[in-house]
This record gives sequence, structure tokens and C-alpha cells, in this order.
Amino acid sequence: MVAVCPKCKVRLKIADEKIAPEGSRFKCPKCNTVLLIKRPKSEAAKAAPGRQLDKTKVIIAHADASVIERVKAVLLKAGYNVIASTDGVDTMVKILRVLPHLAIIDVALPKIYGFEICKRLRERQETKGMRMVLVSSVYDKKRYKREPVSLYGADDYIDEHEIETRLLEKIKAPAIIKEKEAPVKAPEGTTAAVPPPVAPPSAPPSAPPSAPPAPRAEAPRQEPAALKPAVVAAPKADDMVEKAKRLARIILSDIYLYGAQKVEEAVRNNNFREAFAGDLKEGLKLFNQRVSEETRKKGDFYNEEIANFIETRKKSLGIK
Amino acid sequence: MSFINYSSREINCKIVYYGPGLCGKTTNLQFVYKKTNPEQKGKLISLATETERTLFFDFLPIALGDIKGFRVRFHLYTVPGQVFYAASRKLILKGVDGVVFVADSQIERMEANMESLEDLGINLAEQGYDLSRLPFTIQYNKRDLPSAAPLEEMNKLLNTNGIPWYEGVATIGTGVFDTLKDIAKQVLMELKKNY
Repeated sequence: MVAVCPKCKVRLKIADEKIAPEGSRFKCPKCNTVLLIKRPKSEAAKAAPGRQLDKTKVIIAHADASVIERVKAVLLKAGYNVIASTDGVDTMVKILRVLPHLAIIDVALPKIYGFEICKRLRERQETKGMRMVLVSSVYDKKRYKREPVSLYGADDYIDEHEIETRLLEKIKAPAIIKEKEAPVKAPEGTTAAVPPPVAPPSAPPSAPPSAPPAPRAEAPRQEPAALKPAVVAAPKADDMVEKAKRLARIILSDIYLYGAQKVEEAVRNNNFREAFAGDLKEGLKLFNQRVSEETRKKGDFYNEEIANFIETRKKSLGIK
Repeated sequence: MSFINYSSREINCKIVYYGPGLCGKTTNLQFVYKKTNPEQKGKLISLATETERTLFFDFLPIALGDIKGFRVRFHLYTVPGQVFYAASRKLILKGVDGVVFVADSQIERMEANMESLEDLGINLAEQGYDLSRLPFTIQYNKRDLPSAAPLEEMNKLLNTNGIPWYEGVATIGTGVFDTLKDIAKQVLMELKKNY
């Protein structure tokens, strides 16, 4: 879709798949104004059902190339088109671009943990039906073997040493018709002039409505294709954003850890921010010390994580 | 940096137990205190303030022997693990001779472990220490919990330099003395190099 910057009036062409259902924030490459872009209502309504999971594609996300190769060998034999990824940010980007029907993800994936990815994908409209299998490594096959208590939204898990023997059973492989690698289709409503995205959006795809804006484009242009927020995102910037979010989450989990009862009471009474104002202020001080100004400018991650934390606690307490 | 008391002919060493909130640092120290001969240990002193908890005590492990006629006294400290108390942690790390990183094995605390380890590196660097050159050991605590992550994954995330590590269930003492012996040995070896 095309949006017009209210400040400098430059026309910005944005690929629809970069716009979350609730809207996404982008930075104008010319004047740096942060714009909240929402899809027109009619488009937003049809966007989600317009993208289906690709039954022929599977993603394997693992930091270890040898594990990727082992999984690939099993899946290629079964007729899947396999996409590989070695870190969490890249995995999220590839999943949202390609929409594979199955994701096999390392639990301890760098940048974003596998279990965190599962949680995020389950929350998204277009990926909530995806089958997800976590890959867990085991130090000693017998002595330390424990059944996980939570799979964080994944359907199943597999231990590394069982890839050759049990992977197909775990993914419940149906008879797959071998197809040629299809080009990635642009989603409905994408303007033809905008190429399919090739790099991560600046924020992890599951970011809430106030997601951070994309890094600034190199040079402002008047042409419709001037803004390609997805194309210019630097992986390093994503790392910093992830780290900032992680710090905010830890501050909140510490508050909970040392006062679970009081936190739950405050969440029930809808006054968490007021009841823990002192702690939150102290946490913000630390957050501001640790997170560079440049990263903080990309979004209000601290407050976003507070909102996420309250929502999660509400859910766990059964409060709507 | 160890402190030498010439009048009592003692070398005082500082070992800091570091790690995220509620990972079991204090439990480690409490177990050591409980099991140490009263003649060998000082008083268990809590420096807890209204808002934070930390613990300090010293003891004298005779079994570890002397260095050139000087007895070696170890002072064990824990830091407040909550991410807020960065300033306290920095203070406690001053003059440290060895660090034990107590990691919480629960998978949901992995982010907190990583953050705490990074925090340790930053705080040490600010004081001119390099973690890779300091006596350092890791204890993967809470191994008894069902949500404990596999050790291989924990090593991958927290122990990229392949330093010594131990499994711990500090509540019942598993791994507590193995960890302490290891760090004490490393500190003593450093002392012998320098004195």
C-alpha cells in the first residue's frame, strides 16, 4: 500500500505483509517521522485468510549446521522442501515470509530461543495453526532424561539423537507430493512495485502494536519505492532490540519472582503499574543505563514488555 | 586481589557467588556454613537491607593448607541476584579473587542466566578484570527440577569457553562442595603463582 508522510508529504510504498493486523510503525526515510501504518479495514479483514501455510515447506532452525544437515537428509527423502535457518531472528523472518506448515526448532536457538519463537507463532493469526517441533539436545541419554513440563506452544519435541529414527513419526508426515521449489508468492494486495521482502523487519514479527520503527532508509526518495523498511534492517540492530526486550522481561520476571503474591493481587486489581511504581521506576533506570539511546529510540520496549507481562499474568489467572 | 595480614600470617581471599535472582547462591553458602566445622568458620553475617538480600561469611578451610607459612582464609560472598541491584553487585565484586556462577537450570530462567552472566562480565571489566583470566567456575543448580534444561544446552549458552562446571541441587548439598573445592583450588593456584 502507499502511505503519505504527514510531515514531509513523501509517498511511501510499503509491502502489506510488513503491516501487522493491528498496524506497524515505520520511520519516514526523509524526515524521520515515525508513522503508525494501518491497513484499510477491508484489506485488514481479508489479509489473514489470504495467506495459507505452505504444505510442501518445512523450516529447520538450528545453530548447529550438522544438525540441520541431518534433519534435511530425513525431510528431503520424505519429499519436503526444506528451508534452513541458524538464528532466531532469521527464523521468524523466514517463517513469516514463506509460511511453512511445519517448523523444527532448536530450543536454544541464538538471538531468540526456540521456545520463545513457538510462543510468538502461536499468538499470530497466520501461524497459529503451524505444526512445531522443538529439538532438544541431551547430555546423557539416560541419566538426565526428563520429560519437559511445558512445550511453550510446540506440538512435540525431539531429542537430537532421535532425528534419524523418530523425526518423521514426530512430524506425523503425510505422503508428500514432491513439488518443485515454488517462488514465494507475494501476498494479496501487495503492490507490484515492491519486491518480496528479503530481510528481517526491524522488530520481531510478534511485536505488539507499538512495535519499533524500521531503521532509516539510506536516502530519501520521492519515488513510491523509497521506503523499504524490511530490506534495510541491519541484523545487529535486531540483536540490540532483542537484548533490550530481554532485559525488560528479566526486570519484570524478577519483580514477580520476589513478590508473586503481591503481583498477582495487583494484576487482579488492575493496578500493577501503580502498586509497583517504585520497582518499575528502578527497573527503568537500569534499562536506560543498559540500553543505548539509539536502541531506545526504536520503540518503547520497556513499556511494551510491562503491557505483555500484565496480559500474560491476566491469562494465567484466568482474567479476561 | 587477596589481602595479606602479616600479623596473623593469613592470606584473605574473596570468592563471590554470582547468578540471577533466586538461583540458589544463598542456599549454597548456607549449606557450606552448616557443614563447616565451627572452629573453621566465622559468623554467618547477613548484610540484608530492607529491599535486598545478600549474605556474607568467612571461614578458614584448614585442609587447603598454607602458602609459604601463611594460612589461607576464604571469604565467601553472595550478591543480590535481582537485576535491579547492579550497583550492589559491582560493589561486592571489588577485590574478588574467584567467581562461582550459579545458574538456574530451569529453562524459563535461561534468559535471566544469560543476562546475569553478561552483567558479571560488564561489572568485572569496569574494575579491570577479565573473566576469562579470573578463577571461575559454574554450577548448574536446581538439577532436580522437572523443567531443568539439558546440560549440553546450558553449556552451549552459558559456558562457551568450556570452563569447569558442576551439577547442583544446593538444597540438599549436591555439588556444593565440589564447586567450592574447584574454585578454591583455582584461587590457590593463582596465589602460588603470585607469591
